[in-house]
Amino acid sequence: MAKKLGKKARKFAHKHLQGGAKRSRKLRSQFNRRTRKDGKGREDDNRLNGDGGSEETRRNDPTMNMNDDVATLANCLEFPEDENELDGDLSDSDGYLSEDPECMYYSDSDDDNVLKECIVQDDLDEQNNEMRLAVEKQKRKLKKLLDKDPKFANFLEKWQLELVNFESKEDSDEQDEMDSVDNGVDSGDKDPPSDKILTSKTISEWCQLVLDEPKAPALRNLLNAFRDACQFGLNSNSLSMQRLQSTEVFYQIISFVLSKTDNIFRALLEISDDDKGKLMNQRNGKKWQDIEPLIKSYLRNSLDLISQLTDNQILTYVLTRLRTSAVYFSAYPSTSRRLLKMLVRLWASGDQNLSLSSFLMIREVASLLPDCLDFCLTKTYNAYLSSSKIVDNRNIENIDFILNCLVELYSLDIQKAGERAVISVGQLSAILRQASKTKGKEDLLKIDNWQYINCINLWVRFICVNYKDCHNLHLLFSSVVQIIRGVAHLLPGMRYLPLRLKLAQMLNELSNCSQMFFPVPSLIFGSLEFRETPQKEQTEKGKTHFSSILKVPRNMLKSRDFQEQCVLSAIEVLSAHFFQWSYHVSFPEVATIPLILLKRLQEQTTIESLRRPLKRMIDQVSENRDFVQRKREVVSFSPNDASSVESFLQEEEMNGGASFTQFYASVAKSRQSRGRKLV
Amino acid sequence: AKRARSEDKAKGAESRSDDKDADAKQSSQKECKGRSNKKEDSKLQNVQRPLEVPKEKLHSVVLEEVKEELSADELFEKKKAQLAELGMAMLEDPESNIRSLNDLLIICNDTDQRVVKLAIMSLLAVFRDIIPSYRIRQLTEKELAVEVSKEVKKTRYYEYTLIRSYKAYLQKLISLEKQPYFYLVAVRCLCSLLDAAPHFNHRESLLASVVKNLSSSNDVARKLCSEAIRSLFRNEGKHRGEATVEAVRLVSASVKLNDCQLHPDVVEVCLSLKFDEDLGKDESKEEKLKPKKNKRYQNRDVTKPSEKKKIKKELLSKARQEVHADLRAVSFTLDPKEKKMIQRETLAALFETYFRILKHSMNTSNSRYKATSVFPGGSHPLLAPCLEGLGKFSHLIDLDFMSELIACLKKLSGYTDHQGEIPPDNTLSVSERLQCCIVAFKVWRSNLEALNVDLQDFFVQFYNLILEYRPDRDHGEVLADALKTLLWEGKQQDMLRAAAFIKRLATFALSFGSTEAIAALITLRHLLQKNTKCRNMLENDAGGGSLSSLVAKYDPEAKDPYLSGALATVLWELSLLQKHHDETVSGMASNILSMANLNATQNPVQLSSSNPLEAYKDLSMGRELSKPTHKVSQTLKCKRKRRSKEFVALSTDVLEKADCTVGEDELREKLQSHFAVLRGISENERLRTELNHALSSINMYKEYKKQKKASKKSKKAAKA
Repeated sequence: MAKKLGKKARKFAHKHLQGGAKRSRKLRSQFNRRTRKDGKGREDDNRLNGDGGSEETRRNDPTMNMNDDVATLANCLEFPEDENELDGDLSDSDGYLSEDPECMYYSDSDDDNVLKECIVQDDLDEQNNEMRLAVEKQKRKLKKLLDKDPKFANFLEKWQLELVNFESKEDSDEQDEMDSVDNGVDSGDKDPPSDKILTSKTISEWCQLVLDEPKAPALRNLLNAFRDACQFGLNSNSLSMQRLQSTEVFYQIISFVLSKTDNIFRALLEISDDDKGKLMNQRNGKKWQDIEPLIKSYLRNSLDLISQLTDNQILTYVLTRLRTSAVYFSAYPSTSRRLLKMLVRLWASGDQNLSLSSFLMIREVASLLPDCLDFCLTKTYNAYLSSSKIVDNRNIENIDFILNCLVELYSLDIQKAGERAVISVGQLSAILRQASKTKGKEDLLKIDNWQYINCINLWVRFICVNYKDCHNLHLLFSSVVQIIRGVAHLLPGMRYLPLRLKLAQMLNELSNCSQMFFPVPSLIFGSLEFRETPQKEQTEKGKTHFSSILKVPRNMLKSRDFQEQCVLSAIEVLSAHFFQWSYHVSFPEVATIPLILLKRLQEQTTIESLRRPLKRMIDQVSENRDFVQRKREVVSFSPNDASSVESFLQEEEMNGGASFTQFYASVAKSRQSRGRKLV
Repeated sequence: AKRARSEDKAKGAESRSDDKDADAKQSSQKECKGRSNKKEDSKLQNVQRPLEVPKEKLHSVVLEEVKEELSADELFEKKKAQLAELGMAMLEDPESNIRSLNDLLIICNDTDQRVVKLAIMSLLAVFRDIIPSYRIRQLTEKELAVEVSKEVKKTRYYEYTLIRSYKAYLQKLISLEKQPYFYLVAVRCLCSLLDAAPHFNHRESLLASVVKNLSSSNDVARKLCSEAIRSLFRNEGKHRGEATVEAVRLVSASVKLNDCQLHPDVVEVCLSLKFDEDLGKDESKEEKLKPKKNKRYQNRDVTKPSEKKKIKKELLSKARQEVHADLRAVSFTLDPKEKKMIQRETLAALFETYFRILKHSMNTSNSRYKATSVFPGGSHPLLAPCLEGLGKFSHLIDLDFMSELIACLKKLSGYTDHQGEIPPDNTLSVSERLQCCIVAFKVWRSNLEALNVDLQDFFVQFYNLILEYRPDRDHGEVLADALKTLLWEGKQQDMLRAAAFIKRLATFALSFGSTEAIAALITLRHLLQKNTKCRNMLENDAGGGSLSSLVAKYDPEAKDPYLSGALATVLWELSLLQKHHDETVSGMASNILSMANLNATQNPVQLSSSNPLEAYKDLSMGRELSKPTHKVSQTLKCKRKRRSKEFVALSTDVLEKADCTVGEDELREKLQSHFAVLRGISENERLRTELNHALSSINMYKEYKKQKKASKKSKKAAKA
């Protein structure tokens, strides 16, 4: 309901104000510089405008994408969503609380200048002023007419009556669709909502009262004020419009309620931490009965607030505050669902902080409310898929972050997550099999895309995180390995080297968690051999980092940049592989063939910038090889003595003193910095 | 009624085309528009009437065009019907309707391409049906001079017409083949004819054309042709093998002509050749006249064919020969002698082709000749099928060529006598070089290993090639085949060499995928089984024991297996391979390691009896993916319960960021501006409605006035 209204307001803003959200940022700056109207300020405004605009579009992107993916893979990978949900918990009333008449309303003596202060220099207000003038002019004209012909007044009245009737008929249709908030205003409570103007002084007094004594009736008044603040602008006729006049009051209410209410509720309920059991026990108790309306009102209006806000920072703030109250949401499953829906949208928005705080909230709610977990898993998974459709230098970190969040969420309940993993991996496998059968271009395209690869990556990460704690993960494990090998098999050739490197990384991860051996080098031999001599770079513009592409464009194949990146990425992957087995008794043999290739490449390469990293790699690997060789010359066990093989060089590994360990750390570090530079 | 409708249509078409003409030829139209219209009207009644000759030239041109356009469709229909009629008649009674062949051929020259297409297709059907199962012999003058009965005359006429039109048809096809529009149809017809009548006259031109198209750039045409030639080879009964020889000779000639730059399909079809094993062996034996060491051959009674022939020739009189020839012409039985001869000739042509390709690859690979080939397979498109063919027919190769062939293969496999230097950049791919090794071994083995050829160098080459193998670029199956042919099938190996290969294969298995690894491990195990002394490598025996060779220290990069010192190493790889993610590989590794505890005579339990190639194919990705999926239905269980506060995937420094809050001032500012915007919006909305209201009220005034006037009028009227 509130969302609907929020949409309405947004639509209005879009229609009449050319981007109301944009203006909100613009306003911020103008607010500061109200007094000086020089050119510099305006210039800054424009810049801010631009920033805000792009940010806004990016934030909207994922949600927009979600709607129009007809032909894409998402359809076959996404989990089906159950769209019909109820919001019955809290919507029975709009959270208006009957107020204690003893609570005084104070009138600010300086109220007048508050009003004045709030007239903001803005084209919206300019428009408003113009309109105000026009209205006056038209009214004067009307009055003249009325004066001229008094009979016209009668006619007009009749017509207006007709109009009202007609409108109300139309409205009633609309109202059926809407929830009962509006009705609640009229009939929900015994007392009609107060229409007294809220002043800054009133609020401060109330705050003081509440802080002194949590049980004070002022809390109700404050929460009502909060309700008005949150619903401000939702529908223009409501009382909240009249009650709130100053920006300062708005701020006071919101910040106080958000930061203090949680503690107050806790004090009232006499619970200290997020102990859900305790809360549930209290649900039938007297205390809960007393306070429930307050909590209800608070939660409900917070939701409205979230749906209204457009600024990422404020949203982050609100969510952080609200997170402490997550436990109350668990009492209202379907409201939680609504909250989660909003949160998932914000989580996939792309803003790191907002994403993180919404994710923490999601996780909190999901872990408190197991019923909602399924809903969460589906929503977040689908959001991940749709936001990972396109990968470029900018969003690569964000996708990684979202991926980690998702793994975190899926690790909450292994059993449920496992079911989903099996379904999803089954889908991936089916797509792969289809492509392997037909080898058709369209079927191959279903594999050769980011969604597919990111989906594999998700399950790889999931397996890695949970491998140690789960004893029957190996079936899922082997099917994921098969998918990885299958993708590498179906997409051969130099052009898919970036994809291959990605697969090799996944194998490294899997190998690391399971301590199984994977012949990773076989995937990346291609990047260590070049037939063609590199050509001079034609344009610097075409530089793209390997991590953001799957397939190298044909014109890049012969470029220097490509070969350079190939070798450097291969060194990274290889060193991760070597690092894992650097203390194993057969390390010299693991390194033999790659070492031969590396040496050959070092001899043949014409790219100067590659010589140094190659030499360093070769030196380090050879050093470690000699080290292991020396050590194993003095042992007496044979390869079939498994326990001795296991304990070989265990101590050294614990200490991590070998130079290869340090080398690997430096490679990993330089990789990170390289990645960041390109972002 | 139908006719009427079609005429209506024609009318419409005509008027339309008339308009078009009017645009195109305004000047001419101007003069004679009136007249032409009149004429056309008259013509409309009789559209199908043959062309009238108009008096005026200009007029006639216009008319003709119009007519052509409008009647093209009908003409097509009509001709189609005519074709069908003729064809049916031919099939019903070819003898009496043989003249119709001419008519059909005439239609082939039609201007409408669709008609031509249909005509050649129907001719194909007719010929396929009526061509007799014998070859028609040209009549001699003497025969022509003799008076014959009416019946015979009729038959002669029939045969004569048939041959003549068949020839004309073939010529037509061959000429049509050059036009892109007819290309596929013509090729299809040629192939179909070759398939149906390989014994009939004019086979030569038919074959030549089909062989030529084997190297076509059109995939469909190439496939058709190669299928036709293959069926020719398979069904030798149809043409007694004569066509086979001709086809192979043609292939040989075309390879020679094009300097080996052809599509691989050209040579690949030869793989479908069938040689009677016994005949071939007898033949080779007879020809070579070499003392046979093998007992199997000694028991056989052999008489030299040349003698036989001589006796026969003497015995047969001229007349009898003639009769015999006539008999032969109608019967398809071949006596073994002739069969032999045909086979010999086929083989000669085939191996000529193969050797030519080999020689060519050798010459060009050394001179770094880089052909910009349009065919797949790099600069030597024909080498791969050639090697495959050599492998397949290795038992038929003449022993005289053997040493030369082996030398050739050695060179092609990239082997150089100078160990130190890096082999010249061979343009042959690793797969091709591996194939050379395989072929050499196959040739050697199929000739009963009687050859005194040293294949040592191939082992050395193979030892180095293993490292050059790349999973994507090269065919894994070739590698597995090489493992099978060179190592797995061999008998006892030299110990040093076996040890070197064992070590290399173990190392290889660590760096390559599980399919390659399993092939390598199976070979390795086989080698260990055969060479029991090499089992010492499974144990860490300090100093290498008594078996240590000249080289004390193992050099993994050695080029020569004899100098690698592999015996001194331990197969540590296997301990890591036991951890391999693929259960087949890890199982095999454990199986091999268990050998260490067994006696030299004992062998561990066989895991599978398949050879490397089979194992490779079994485990290959394609097959793996075609296996049915097993449902993973079991539920996952977590060993320990996670607490809700515990994070597993997100790093702590990321989580720390979550607590950073916005500064109070900033928050205030942002919230306030948010509020201001909301207020602005609602204010705007309110004003808007107010304004609209006021405006509409003013507008209502006009309405009001109108009504007032109307009421006044009505009142007046009422008064009046």
